[in-house]
Amino acid sequence: MLFNTPQFFAFLAIVLTLFYTAPRGLRKYILLAASYFFYMSFIPKFILLLLSLTAIDYTAARWIAWTHSPRSRKSALVISLAANLGLLGFFKYYNFFAANVAHLLHKPSDAFALSIILPLGISFHTFQSMSYVIDVYRREQEPITNPIDYALFISFFPQLVAGPIVRAREFFGDLYHWKRPSSDDVLRGLLLLLLGLAKKMVMADQFAQIANGYFADVSKHTGMVPAWSAVIAFGIQIYFDFSGYTDMAIGMAKLLGFHFPVNFRRPYLASSITDFWHRWHISLSRWLRDYLYIPLGGNRHGRLQTYRNLMLTMLLGGLWHGASWNFVVWGGYHGALLSVERAFRRENAPVESRWTALHPLQAVITFALVMIGWVFFRAATFHDSLYVLHQMLFVPHGHILIPAWLTDLALMTLLLALLEEKREWFEKVALGPAWAYGAVCAVLLLAVELIGYTEAAVPFVYFQF
Amino acid sequence: MAANSPIDLAPAAERTPVHTAQTRRVWPRLLAAILCFAALEGILFHTTFYSEIVEPDSTTGYMELQLRNEIRRPKPNRNQVLAVGHSRMALLPRVVNQEKPGTGYTFASIGLGGTTPRVWYYSLRAVDPTARNYAAIVIPTDDFNEPDTYDYQSERESDLHYLIARLKFRDLLEFPWTYRPKKLQWVAFRGILLKGFVYKRDFLEFLDHPLARIAKARYYATDSAGWYYGYGGVDTSLAGLQIDWRHKTIRFSERIPENERHQIQDTLFPTLPPDQGLETAYLRYWYGKIIEHYRGSGTKLIFMRVPRAPTSPPDAPPKLDSAIRQIASQPDVVVLDEHLFDQLEHPDLFWDAQHLNRPGMEAFSHILANEVRRVLGPPKF
Repeated sequence: MLFNTPQFFAFLAIVLTLFYTAPRGLRKYILLAASYFFYMSFIPKFILLLLSLTAIDYTAARWIAWTHSPRSRKSALVISLAANLGLLGFFKYYNFFAANVAHLLHKPSDAFALSIILPLGISFHTFQSMSYVIDVYRREQEPITNPIDYALFISFFPQLVAGPIVRAREFFGDLYHWKRPSSDDVLRGLLLLLLGLAKKMVMADQFAQIANGYFADVSKHTGMVPAWSAVIAFGIQIYFDFSGYTDMAIGMAKLLGFHFPVNFRRPYLASSITDFWHRWHISLSRWLRDYLYIPLGGNRHGRLQTYRNLMLTMLLGGLWHGASWNFVVWGGYHGALLSVERAFRRENAPVESRWTALHPLQAVITFALVMIGWVFFRAATFHDSLYVLHQMLFVPHGHILIPAWLTDLALMTLLLALLEEKREWFEKVALGPAWAYGAVCAVLLLAVELIGYTEAAVPFVYFQF
Repeated sequence: MAANSPIDLAPAAERTPVHTAQTRRVWPRLLAAILCFAALEGILFHTTFYSEIVEPDSTTGYMELQLRNEIRRPKPNRNQVLAVGHSRMALLPRVVNQEKPGTGYTFASIGLGGTTPRVWYYSLRAVDPTARNYAAIVIPTDDFNEPDTYDYQSERESDLHYLIARLKFRDLLEFPWTYRPKKLQWVAFRGILLKGFVYKRDFLEFLDHPLARIAKARYYATDSAGWYYGYGGVDTSLAGLQIDWRHKTIRFSERIPENERHQIQDTLFPTLPPDQGLETAYLRYWYGKIIEHYRGSGTKLIFMRVPRAPTSPPDAPPKLDSAIRQIASQPDVVVLDEHLFDQLEHPDLFWDAQHLNRPGMEAFSHILANEVRRVLGPPKF
């Protein structure tokens, strides 16, 4: 049941109706049941995996809080992390590992392969669950006593399969101090829901046609123009796909009285790679910073250690996205860029540059660098990545693959992004006069109807992670 | 287990004022959104605004040109005969109106390849909403026995595209439910309600070259009536073709290329499913709708069988409960002799397995015009 299907909107309408009409004592049970129903609508059997991890982490956190023995506390933490990372490792990385072992032993790449289906959202809910147990271990989070509350934290359907990765203190803050959403939040939530749907169906799915067409067989098109246009198409696709999903998740949460953190802040306007990572998949960046980069030492032990920590964090961040060397290279590429920027940046210099005359140039350079990174992210094989990069940099001919109307659409969204950056139009519309709200909603609906890709419901890109 | 979340603890009384204030702010905005969307959708697609710039070389475009040309065609009196039908309706109005005047009637055609009786009904409703424009409507049928085929007419999604500019909200009650598969019912329902879903592909193409499209649409709107009227048919023929209907074999002349031979073979000897009367039920429904539209109007509905093949196939035992045979007794319905056009079933007069060529169409037009004149008698208006 994808967010961009009529079935999901029917499901959401039923959940909202039941939630707000049911006796208060039943509400969180309704949310939990709805979340499990939503999860089981994909592959039902994996509910056992979700339930098992929920039980393990709930118990581990309770144990950590209950016991006074440092050894017991650490054991419970290790058991929890091992369970999460073990299951994540098995489902996501076993075949990658097996293929590499087979390669080293000069055997066929599928010699040790297993037929494994990746459970939906496993990368997200394991990270969310681990952050909770670690926070309890660090005594930054009280353990949750009610298993229903904890189960709801892990399985809450708006963000179950692709984030944003919500921290326990944020979620339980909302749950334990729950208030009926204000009219402003309802209006914001509805507009976000619609905006997210439009981002997905109008932008992401349309640009996906171009990117998919090119990357299905990269050798069909020669020259830098098709290569750049396909890579930019993919860059637009993945941003609108993921941020569209996130907007819908945040919007739904608002309608239910919960507040998720912002996950994207117009990343393609970033003036540097560091700035980009402060704007792209913010909840993952924050997770990696708090549970990996800082524990590794962060920037506290000199420049070389900082570069090493950045590289390690980004390599693992890359690997988190998928089990292939392409993702490792993508992570390493960003780690290297971050290290280079770090080397040339003054200490304590602000990450987000002020808007100066140089900003557009910096943004264009950053955009180009990010696009080069997407080649590794999108190409089917490492060989394909190198081929596309060669085309992009050294083969000066070819035809643009993006039709004029899609280019116009992309330029319009760039204008909207600039307006949001400088004028915050979304908030003005959400809380503005009824006619403005109505007009923007109408345009978004019409865009979904007329331009949205409706041949089939296209899964969100990040569902595979 | 004690609950510790205020979702289930906060007293209801605390929230009532918030709820009221919320309603006051939220509902007007939702209403504004719905109204704005309905207004935009309505202006674009439920008026002629977009249908006039739809791609002329498209399903919707062809149909709209035909209908608009026919609506605009001057009709000084009611002595008008209109043919509907698919690509096998071979009437050439120019031939019977100009070369052989004397029937006293003016002939016109809105026949269009790929259309079905469902499309014909809605087309007639569009060009003749009050059922007072024509002395007669000529409606073709392929076979009086109406055998079921795998290409079941009721399931043609293309009907929605032919008719999209002509379907109205009131058609939500009927049109979608004339499809059998639930998916097509939904597609048709959604399409009539939100026409943008049907126009989507056309709209995206429009966005690519909007000015060129507008210019093309205007050009077609101005000139296409003449092109259609002047159309004379295909000049090639299947001369030399011999068909052994009993053994289902065909001897081709050497001029006919291999790929066309396969097409002809497949068309003339199709694999048919067991007849469950689906086609008959479908035709009964749509013939019935057309008859109902013209009931009491004085317009004659003339049904005729089109020439079937380049040589006459053997007659199958008549299916007495076929739709065409059952409607024959209704007032103002005339079913022409089944064998009226058998003389045209000759390879010299066909350019493929089903379609008459130029001489065939001309001969067909003369025979049909004379027969219509015989049925209607001298002009009354």
